[in-house]
Amino acid sequence: MSEMTAPTTSDRGFFGEAKYPGIFGWIFSTDHKRIGLLYFWCIFFFFCVGAFLGLLIRLELFAPGETIMGAQTYNAVFTLHGVIMIFLFIIPGIPAAFGNLILPIQIGARDVAFPKLNLFSWWLYITGAILAVTSLFTGGGPPDTGWTFYVPFSAQTSTNVSLAAIAVFILGFSSILTGLNFVTTVHRLRAEGMGWFRLPLFTWALYSTAWVQILATPVIGITVALLFAERVIGTGLFDPTQGGDPIMFQHLFWIYSHPAVYIMVLPGMGVVSDIIPVFSRKPAFGYKAILISSLAIAFAGSLVWAHHMFTSGISDLAVMVFSFLTFIVAIPSAIKVFNWLATMYQGSILLDPPMLFALSFILLFTIGGLTGLVLGSAATDVHVHDTYFVVGHFHFVMFGGTGMAFFAAMHYWLPMIYGRMYDKTVATVAWGVMMIGFLILYISMKVVGMQGMPRRYYDYVPEFTGLNQLATVGSWILAVGLVLLFANIIRGLFWGDPLEANPWGSASLEWQVSSPPPTENFDEDPVVTHGPYDFKQAGIL
Amino acid sequence: MNPQPLITTTEAVDKAFYIIFGISGVMLLGVTVVMIYFVWRYNRKRYPVPLSQKNTNLWLETTWTIIPTILVMVMFWYGWEGYLSLRNIPDNAVPIHASARMWSWLFTYENGKTSDKLYVPVGQPVKVQLTAEDVLHSFYVPAFRVKRDTVPGMDNYVWFVADQPGSYDLFCAEYCGVGHSAMITTVEAVPAAEFSAWLAAKPAVSDAGKNLLQKHGCLGCHSLDGSPMVGPSFQDIGGRQVVVISDGESRTLTRDRDYLEKSILEPGADIVEGFPPSMPSYAGRIPEEDLTGILDYLTGLKGEQQGDKATPERDALEPVEAEAEAEAQEPGQAAEPAEAAGPGDFVSQGENLAGKNGCLGCHSTDGSRRVGPSFKGLMGSERTVVKDGQEITVSADADYLIRAIREPGVEIVQGYPAAMPPYPQLSDEDIKALQAWLETLK
Repeated sequence: MSEMTAPTTSDRGFFGEAKYPGIFGWIFSTDHKRIGLLYFWCIFFFFCVGAFLGLLIRLELFAPGETIMGAQTYNAVFTLHGVIMIFLFIIPGIPAAFGNLILPIQIGARDVAFPKLNLFSWWLYITGAILAVTSLFTGGGPPDTGWTFYVPFSAQTSTNVSLAAIAVFILGFSSILTGLNFVTTVHRLRAEGMGWFRLPLFTWALYSTAWVQILATPVIGITVALLFAERVIGTGLFDPTQGGDPIMFQHLFWIYSHPAVYIMVLPGMGVVSDIIPVFSRKPAFGYKAILISSLAIAFAGSLVWAHHMFTSGISDLAVMVFSFLTFIVAIPSAIKVFNWLATMYQGSILLDPPMLFALSFILLFTIGGLTGLVLGSAATDVHVHDTYFVVGHFHFVMFGGTGMAFFAAMHYWLPMIYGRMYDKTVATVAWGVMMIGFLILYISMKVVGMQGMPRRYYDYVPEFTGLNQLATVGSWILAVGLVLLFANIIRGLFWGDPLEANPWGSASLEWQVSSPPPTENFDEDPVVTHGPYDFKQAGIL
Repeated sequence: MNPQPLITTTEAVDKAFYIIFGISGVMLLGVTVVMIYFVWRYNRKRYPVPLSQKNTNLWLETTWTIIPTILVMVMFWYGWEGYLSLRNIPDNAVPIHASARMWSWLFTYENGKTSDKLYVPVGQPVKVQLTAEDVLHSFYVPAFRVKRDTVPGMDNYVWFVADQPGSYDLFCAEYCGVGHSAMITTVEAVPAAEFSAWLAAKPAVSDAGKNLLQKHGCLGCHSLDGSPMVGPSFQDIGGRQVVVISDGESRTLTRDRDYLEKSILEPGADIVEGFPPSMPSYAGRIPEEDLTGILDYLTGLKGEQQGDKATPERDALEPVEAEAEAEAQEPGQAAEPAEAAGPGDFVSQGENLAGKNGCLGCHSTDGSRRVGPSFKGLMGSERTVVKDGQEITVSADADYLIRAIREPGVEIVQGYPAAMPPYPQLSDEDIKALQAWLETLK
């Protein structure tokens, strides 16, 4: 099907055809692959910054009392870690980077539906990112509210919360416009023969996510705009002395930010749903069940936000309803896990790096999901809410889930984009080191949280010292693994061996184009004759 | 609604924990084992070609939809049942009011008595009414599995019963700013008779000033014993020189009565160097007579008044000793032995001196940087100091120590502000004791 073009400097697919010279060929390009790579490297950079801040947090918590920084600095560091990791890494992570790179090719399109809007989204992203960074060095100092911006504290603190709120507002628009683009692209630009049930599950996951992005993100825009108004003109909407209600802020915040959790994790599930069939040489088991559960998660996930507020003072009836709905949303997640396992049954399994990351997604996401049940259950949530148990839980789901899926996508698709392969042995070793560090770090957090250590604590009582030190040691191991992983993939993408055609043996469309793909992906519009996991029709079996 | 015998909040919540962890453990084990087994069993080395291309099975799909549904409903139910136990207050619960503010707790009992630790009778349920004065906080006692946010403008509550005497950590669990992690106190569970005796006892008159500090939450951030907290310690505060930042300019002021009053009413005007600008203004929040009382007390806290180690020390009190101390404002305080270092025990005498004289407010013992250089590794080290505008290197020996304490403005360690006041009240003997102690801090 595809003709392998050996990567040369003169003919390197879309790399060789820029409209403008140098950097302008990237930042003014409307090619979805160039925009995808812009996003990828920005997101990659911010992940490294966020991870570095995370290491500083762990270092400070190595011993009670002041270790490397003062309390105010610490509060700014964990706020920044949260804001960067959530708004600049994990929300745009898979959809904006890999969605842009892969989705159009997967459905046989030449580009997304609105290429200029796509470029504009990236500009919004980078503007928001610059403003977020600017908020550190201007005004009353770096924001110290935590990424949740809870009032009344966020309305009172003299630090630069207003600018950070504007940054979040702008980043929100980037996310909305990307969602809009993807929904339109999937509806309008599928190639001939690419019916809805021939869509790869990654595309399905992005499609479900895009709807959440469009529908939920405006609420965070409104919320931070109201916070801005509260700070600047004293609207008093959240101020009880003026008849306002601080709890209302929490509702508004979580109406977006809980669905945002699914914006973060659904695309990761899509990556795993695409990788497991390829490395098991089996069609995705329960294709329809997986795609329906994606839609179900997107829908039901929008109705569970108040489980972040069980101890806030909302009514007991509200606690019951939201606890019930939270347990409901656990079901489609469980169905996905069982379907992934069933896909491997009677397969021919190869443990190449993308598969290792996909399997660790299943393991870590399962642990994260099961500890999520502790948080969904009303009685147990009261004990562990706002403790390190929650911190451990969401790092399992976000980093162990979405983060691992991001690494899986990196090792699965980026070689196709660059036309070069990384060293698989080094990637496997790095994966092993990361897993050890990861489990030590975040399991320690969960245990110390069960013992009652609250989160966002700069200092702690001496009983918690041992587990905190263990966690910090885990963070060092994890960091070594990450450095190895990143060094290996960067080396591979830029200086690695030329890629052989369709190296993993996928039946999906994105592997049938030459590598790196040409500017408009297909020399002539493709006609799709089989599903994305039909290995027999694709001639792989 | 009140089951007999009384189920503690801990028991009610732990039941739900056991059920959820039990089910989750089995599920996790199952998923992990199946995954590893498949990877081994269906490895490509063993099967270069997959055994089947089967991709659907209605019975399987139905089964693994229904079983998780039943399991999550079970978990939901026990979670909800446990939650109800946390919400339904036993009839005979003792009412106590808790007020949270940046960054301390104030507990008020039925008869109007107040404390900054929460005293509760063993075996008797207590209902704690929760309010907040400034921002969100959260009342959290891990041992009793209770947590509830304190929200400005809203009344929340928790109830619990301590079935064993003891001291239990009480944390603020909702992020509230720079002093969040210092907003820690304890629940002191004491036998019912002791609790009644303590409740009935009048606070000692001499403690009036301290009670005012406690009432207004000052002690949440300012210690009385020289130990650094969010704000500067109150020890030796009256009359001393201090370096402050006013409008970005650094200047030296004397902490007289006017300064102290301004610091309370306009805390943002002059920020003591090395501390965050986080104190809220008390203008309009503090009655005139309370302000006078506090100023009287603070200006009286001079060097000669020593050993007034008060409230912020977390482990200072043993509830079991409470009987003997019923007339003290708080059990435990009066029982503290008079500080008398044994003759010849120079090291601990030196340590005491450093604590009493407030050295530790500016100099750490663990190598971390504060207003002044750390004490760790000080003795015998070579350091660069600025003397008469010239940088010179000196050896930190006994002579240097005397110079640094008696005339701290002459040689300033490079990179630090000239902030330290002279300590003429320390005798040669005292300085030798300090030196002996400093020698141990390698």
